[in-house]
Amino acid sequence: MSGDGECTGGDLLRRALAGERAAFGALVRTHQRMVFSLALRMLRDRHAAEDLAQEVFLQLYRSLSAVSSEAHLAFWLRKVTAHRAIDRLRREPRLEMAPLEEAQLSAGEAHSRDPILERRLRSLVAQLPPAARAVMLLRYQEDLDPADIARTLRMPVNTVKSHLKRSLAELRERMTSSGALT
Amino acid sequence: MSDDRHEPESNDLERRLRAALKPVNPGEGFTAGVMARVAAEPRPARRPRSPAVVSWLAFGLAASVVLAVLLAHEWQVRRIEQGREARRQLIEALRVTDEKLNLAYRVVNSRQDAAPAQHSGA
Amino acid sequence: MKVFFPGWHWLAALMAALTASVALAAPAAMLNLPDFDALAAKATETVNISLDPALLGLAAGFLDSSNPDDAATKELIAGLKGIYVRNYTFDQDFSYPSAQVDLVRKQLAAPAWQRLVEVNNTKDHTHVQIYVAVDRGVANGLAIIASEPREFTIVNIVGAIDLAKLRRLEGKFGIPKLDLPNGKDGQAK
Repeated sequence: MSGDGECTGGDLLRRALAGERAAFGALVRTHQRMVFSLALRMLRDRHAAEDLAQEVFLQLYRSLSAVSSEAHLAFWLRKVTAHRAIDRLRREPRLEMAPLEEAQLSAGEAHSRDPILERRLRSLVAQLPPAARAVMLLRYQEDLDPADIARTLRMPVNTVKSHLKRSLAELRERMTSSGALT
Repeated sequence: MSDDRHEPESNDLERRLRAALKPVNPGEGFTAGVMARVAAEPRPARRPRSPAVVSWLAFGLAASVVLAVLLAHEWQVRRIEQGREARRQLIEALRVTDEKLNLAYRVVNSRQDAAPAQHSGA
Repeated sequence: MKVFFPGWHWLAALMAALTASVALAAPAAMLNLPDFDALAAKATETVNISLDPALLGLAAGFLDSSNPDDAATKELIAGLKGIYVRNYTFDQDFSYPSAQVDLVRKQLAAPAWQRLVEVNNTKDHTHVQIYVAVDRGVANGLAIIASEPREFTIVNIVGAIDLAKLRRLEGKFGIPKLDLPNGKDGQAK
């Protein structure tokens, strides 16, 4: 569960709440992949994503008393990361217009069965509008169901389902027309 | 979620999406970067302990002094923890206030933006 | 430097106009908030904050005046005598009983309280009311009641709060700017 010996996530949270910074560091290591990946695929810029991810954890440090459990912690991190990323995209249109740096977006290609197709998919997801992008990432990166996505993004469930349906249709069409999918 | 007409294709697409969107690690110095920023946050100042002077003749007095210092230190630490907690709660309260004022603004705006045309979506 | 979001001018201006024109007897700007046990029992998340003058003073003491964000927050809360928040989040749409909420609304019906804003979105089932307490032409209290399908919030601020200053704290200090575009990316059909 964490890189901190035999401590459970709940133990780490309790210790972090008690002011133990080492425990907080372990919490960061536990959740940094999720937070960073969400930020990266939302912002399309590694530097901006690292900066945003660090801000999320700093905010967590300041607001730790508002977190009641380990499950709540994951929800809190996804929620704040998604909202901050969407907000940042609105404030910095250059992030939307920057060329996609696919090398930055790629992951684990050495172990991928079809790295080219997966890179193409990541590229297409990165081109979706921010809200739809967030929905897709929470669904397919974080494996949340629509109700949890709705809660995370403070969005009606029907809107979430609508985003998923339209985004999948768009991805399918673009992948098919380019021959990537048959 | 997926269109029934394309169900096998959607399952395949969704499977590939999950594979493509596996989480990735940030750079090596990420955690250290976070902790460096955390370290810059206000921390309780440690009150230096008075060195205990061991003397058989003044042992009782020294023990009392040390005890008083420890108790005062304990009070100080607790006070600092309370202060930090109050600060956190203050920030959270301001955040919630701001969020709900934004909500009112959004609702007002959505009524003003309610246009005849349908949004076409992504 | 964050662009000052223009949307709040309407609210801050409304408060200014109201307080300039109204002179009332000393109001009870602090609401008597019930336990809301019916909501708490169903909620998956509860935020319960009660910062009285002593705790506000303590919190202010832990704001670093040399840090611009902390200094701005210190300035914001300088005139406050209390901040009280009750926030409940549910994991499904919840029609919470209105009896306890009505106890609060009854207090807000007193002459000292003026309703600034009431907005209702029947599509999203969102209802927000904002009240201000006025004493001799000065706003000395704010109350917000926000009902969403999966969240219910009451905020009571006692003392003079400058909403423009609160707005300027957005994006800083862990207070994210959360006003997502509404309907821009398409609504459910």
